Amino acid sequence: MKKNKLIIKNNVSELEKVSVFVEKIVKEFKIPDKLIFNINLVLEEIISNIIFYAFDDESDHEILIEAKLIEDDLHILIKDDGKAFNLLDAPAPTDLNAGIDDRSIGGLGIHFAKTLMDNIDYKRENDNNKIYLRKQIS
Amino acid sequence: MEIKKEKINEILVLEINGRLDTTNYSELDEIFADHISKNEINIIVDCKNMDYISSSGLRVFLTALKKINAANGKFLLCGLQETIQEIFKISGFTSIFKIFDNQEEALKETS
Repeated sequence: MKKNKLIIKNNVSELEKVSVFVEKIVKEFKIPDKLIFNINLVLEEIISNIIFYAFDDESDHEILIEAKLIEDDLHILIKDDGKAFNLLDAPAPTDLNAGIDDRSIGGLGIHFAKTLMDNIDYKRENDNNKIYLRKQIS
Repeated sequence: MEIKKEKINEILVLEINGRLDTTNYSELDEIFADHISKNEINIIVDCKNMDYISSSGLRVFLTALKKINAANGKFLLCGLQETIQEIFKISGFTSIFKIFDNQEEALKETS
């Protein structure tokens, strides 16, 4: 089993580290190029949501991103100590077929995660949010 | 992200290079807002060298489209890479935006 992790602070500027981390695991885990975009996108959407909405105080918080390759499956855990938020309960985006005047972007990030990953799970444990993503890579 | 600007027959052509994401979307948002406020409301965005977009970037495009439509201008996209076309499909954006294969096709639409 291959494994790698990254810890970032709850600041938007830290998102660059996430794309560098994705580049790294893609090489280490030999993930096909066509999946790089989707992994990057799902991580950015979930982690930026955490950075923007999970914390009410002004202090620094750590967000852990842990990637494992188990056989052909990429497993990613994203852990934060912010407010409880189960992304699986988040409302679906407004009608994806709506005309331009009725369109908004709310919920689109979570919609990407649900569409582009094979599975998503959520647990609240010891005051932490844990999001588990799984994607088959071959 | 780098943005190149060019005026072709009174049409503003913006070429986006690199990533459009949560860390830099506001740069592009300001550029659109600035041009729209000067009534430069015929805009082509050439995305052939844009290799990444997230929902923050999509929001910037949607905001610009709404403002430009309200002003009776034209906001056209062209040159979307395959992975980005996929994201537009998943978002339901392909029916909202006018999307062309390349700049030449988009320019024809404005003439």
